[in-house]
Amino acid sequence: MTLPRSSYRAVVVGGGIIGLYTAYDLARAGAGPILVLERGFLSSGASGRNGGGVRQQWETRGTIRLARESVEAYRRFGRDFGYNLWFRQSGYLFLAESEVELARLRTVHDVVTAEGLPARLLDAGGVAELVPGLAPGAAIGGSYLASDGVLYPFPAVWGVYEAARSLGVDVALGVEALGLRVEGTRVTGLVTSEGAVATTTVVNAAGGWSGEFSRRAGLEVPNVATRHEILATESLKPFLDPMVVRASDGLYFSQTMRGEIVGGRTVGHAPGVGPGVPSSPGFLTGMARALTGLLPRLGSVRVLRAWSGYYDDTPDGFPVIGEDPRLPGFVHANGFGGHGFMLAPAAGRRVARAVLGEPTELDPAVFGPGRFLVARRDAPAERLGLG
Amino acid sequence: MAGDRPARFSYRGRSVRADPGETVLGAIARRGVPVVARSNRYRRPRGPFCGVGQCTGCLVRVNGVPGTRACRHVPLEGDRVEDERGWPSARFDLLGAIDLLFPGGFDSLRGLRRPAFLTPVYQWGVRRLLGVGALPEAAPPARPPVTVIAPKVVVVGGGRSGRAVAQALRTEGLRPLVLERALGPLALEGADGRPATSATFLPRPAGGRFTMLGFTEPDRGVALRTRAVVIATGSYDAGLLFGGNDRPGVLTAEGALSLVGPGRRPPFRRAVVVGGGGRVRDVLDRCGDAVAAVVAPSEIRPEVVRRASELDVPLYPRSLVLRAAGRSGVRRLYLRTRRRGPTFSLACDAVVLAHRRLPHTQLFFQAGARLDWSDARGAYFPVVDDAGATTVPGLYAIGSVAGDAAPGVRPEDLAHALAARRPVGPPRTAASGPVAEIVGYYRELLGERRRGRWMACPCEDVLLREIEEAVAAGYRGVEVTKRYTGLGTGLCQGRYCVPDALLVLSLLEGRPPPAVGYITQRPPVHPMPLASLAELDGALPSEAEA
Ligand SMILES: Cc1cc2nc3c(=O)[nH]c(=O)nc-3n(C[C@H](O)[C@H](O)[C@H](O)COP(=O)(O)OP(=O)(O)OC[C@H]3O[C@@H](n4cnc5c(N)ncnc54)[C@H](O)[C@@H]3O)c2cc1C
Repeated sequence: MTLPRSSYRAVVVGGGIIGLYTAYDLARAGAGPILVLERGFLSSGASGRNGGGVRQQWETRGTIRLARESVEAYRRFGRDFGYNLWFRQSGYLFLAESEVELARLRTVHDVVTAEGLPARLLDAGGVAELVPGLAPGAAIGGSYLASDGVLYPFPAVWGVYEAARSLGVDVALGVEALGLRVEGTRVTGLVTSEGAVATTTVVNAAGGWSGEFSRRAGLEVPNVATRHEILATESLKPFLDPMVVRASDGLYFSQTMRGEIVGGRTVGHAPGVGPGVPSSPGFLTGMARALTGLLPRLGSVRVLRAWSGYYDDTPDGFPVIGEDPRLPGFVHANGFGGHGFMLAPAAGRRVARAVLGEPTELDPAVFGPGRFLVARRDAPAERLGLG
Repeated sequence: MAGDRPARFSYRGRSVRADPGETVLGAIARRGVPVVARSNRYRRPRGPFCGVGQCTGCLVRVNGVPGTRACRHVPLEGDRVEDERGWPSARFDLLGAIDLLFPGGFDSLRGLRRPAFLTPVYQWGVRRLLGVGALPEAAPPARPPVTVIAPKVVVVGGGRSGRAVAQALRTEGLRPLVLERALGPLALEGADGRPATSATFLPRPAGGRFTMLGFTEPDRGVALRTRAVVIATGSYDAGLLFGGNDRPGVLTAEGALSLVGPGRRPPFRRAVVVGGGGRVRDVLDRCGDAVAAVVAPSEIRPEVVRRASELDVPLYPRSLVLRAAGRSGVRRLYLRTRRRGPTFSLACDAVVLAHRRLPHTQLFFQAGARLDWSDARGAYFPVVDDAGATTVPGLYAIGSVAGDAAPGVRPEDLAHALAARRPVGPPRTAASGPVAEIVGYYRELLGERRRGRWMACPCEDVLLREIEEAVAAGYRGVEVTKRYTGLGTGLCQGRYCVPDALLVLSLLEGRPPPAVGYITQRPPVHPMPLASLAELDGALPSEAEA
């Protein structure tokens, strides 16, 4: 396969949900010819492996705003993109097992409600009502926001992919970005497995492989790929509405439209390489123990399958959006950890603006690539763990 | 202990008797192929299909435990067996009307998007429609802790090859542990055996050691650590695509034979058997008087012709199977002679699929052994040397799962190489021959006009049409097709849909099957209860130590 053109206004590396939304928004803004490079198949990265959780309960206003905007976009997705995401807004429930965690949830709750979202703090009884079969003592309280929810990630990928293509974006599947071409201090092109292309802007939306790609471009970045595992059980009749997250370790589970219990957690920090992502026995047994500890009645329910993917983690847990101050023309759209799907519509718009040199309205201290270059300040607030 | 004596269980308001060792399915399928379950999207009637606990055909609720395979549950006195789906019952389900209301299929990708304010209503309804069994009423009782077993060698599969290799290993002074998925006693000499035990997860070995997870029916976890694994999982009877291929009464040969036994008549009287080889002979030998005809996709082997003529069974070689008609069972099978020949039909009450066997290769994929596509067989087989050694040191294959290059791997050679830790030798040359007949069969079949539902994936009710639409929309490869349509994401883990989908995709995409790819064999390869996984936690060394 050869690339359709030899020169593009911007080349997006990575055909996951972030790269696709970015390309779509660039095309909508009439930016000129856009190319997306995806070395695997469509949805081969984290965007085809995630749990589809979408929440707006965050500890910083900037993230809450991105999440709210994304929730709105996902609600309209069926109309805008023609695919049904089955976006079910039945809430996110964070469980606190101790007073310390409850205090943490309270802090977050204050930020969330200050933004005008009707999050609620629950006591043990309120939690038990939302999670039938929850083991006694599993939670002393929790925090809940009904407009959070769960969606099917795949149709989102198809919808944005098709919309971008119909706006003229070229998506090259099975083509790898190998390295940058730089003249002086500016990006002038990109070398791919199918030859070189000229461009003044390269967007690094390579997900778990973004650190690798930045480093290939000669830029030191703190992104690390972390393996995150997840499992699904056989289908049950609906009994559980919200996505449930244990605040202490980020373990989460929800029940899909099809009735499966889908749940996961990060298993240590096993930095990943390569495209294949194996499951591990330790995850299966550990997750099964944790899940049956929380919901003992699931014991005789069968696990149907397990799989895994890479989180693209940053030291402070926030994504990196914007042009790299060290290399004009190199734009970051990465570091989304376990939350890239829920932020993608809003993040894509900001990345597109960054490419076009328009203001992104993002706090550079939270999202900017430059934040890792200055001496570390204190983390804004402790993060809510979520797989 | 289950199965020592007859047991009575309750089912749909009746009390049913099971003979010693007989499963729930065996007991309820005495007078015909029963409708046991309802399908996922269209609520179509479903009955036993695979007979070996791999499909969705006989899911029932037993004593409050959902998702119990009736074909693998030997009842105890007083067991409570209930339908999972169906209102009022799986047999008569008012929601079965959905199948009639959506004759063109139901588009879950693009459908039910509007009006937006009805979204919660749609979701409420669809969720109730799709959910299978209700949450169990209680937690399973606490059990004593399990310990990791560490035998010198593990043999997966206690069939002919597995037993032979166990014997040969014994001669080499090794005492293997044999895991066998089938229920019932496992007769072995000089080896330890675990019947009713499924190996479910065999990751790539670390530091020369394998960790293997599994469980013993119904839910006891098994964890193994070993340096050598011999896989003798054999093969299974494949599915086939045609209209109404998911109807109760369409069974694999394995499924049909599992319902036949000494002193036990098959649950059909006039079956059409599909196939022309040795597997058809098995069916004729064991229930020939209940076979109305043999229909073969291509030629019929002489020994089958001989046996059929002894039994007075008519033969229809070179036939396309087009459609099984009926409502809650099969009444008639519509066919066409190959190469644009005439269409014809046969009255029948069952269709037995005995046309093609496929290897159980899931564990090789997981362990990282190299598999090669065999054009001659239309399937993947592990690459092995003369002693059955795969490309993963310590992992061996024997029997039909190792391919069909003649002569097969000899148990003595395998045992000797394993005991001597002989390095892996050069790969055997795979059986060559003309491209599998099934490829030409599908090429012709795809050109036929279609009536009835062609279920590309019976577990998830994915229609052949949906696969064609994915390809037409520009999506390529089986991994993407899986994510686009849901194909292969059901309980059978792709066993009954992916092999044929590969061939169909290869034809639609115009590239060879290996280019279409394969789906990752996700653990567990047999769905495994959470409790049996949970009880293994802590028993295994952590990954860092491994
Ligand atoms: C198991 C799991 C569960 C998750 N659950 C959730 C959840 O519930 N909610 C949520 O919001 N998020 C969740 N996430 C995170 C979310 O999936 C990701 O943050 C998001 O999909 C990231 O999208 P992306 O486009 O950045 O990355 P990806 O989807 O990984 O896409 C990056 C793409 O770049 C390609 N690529 C890499 N290098 C190159 C190169 N050099 N050249 C060409 N192409 C390249 C890769 O092949 C890949 O397809 C989960 C993730 C995992 C793994």
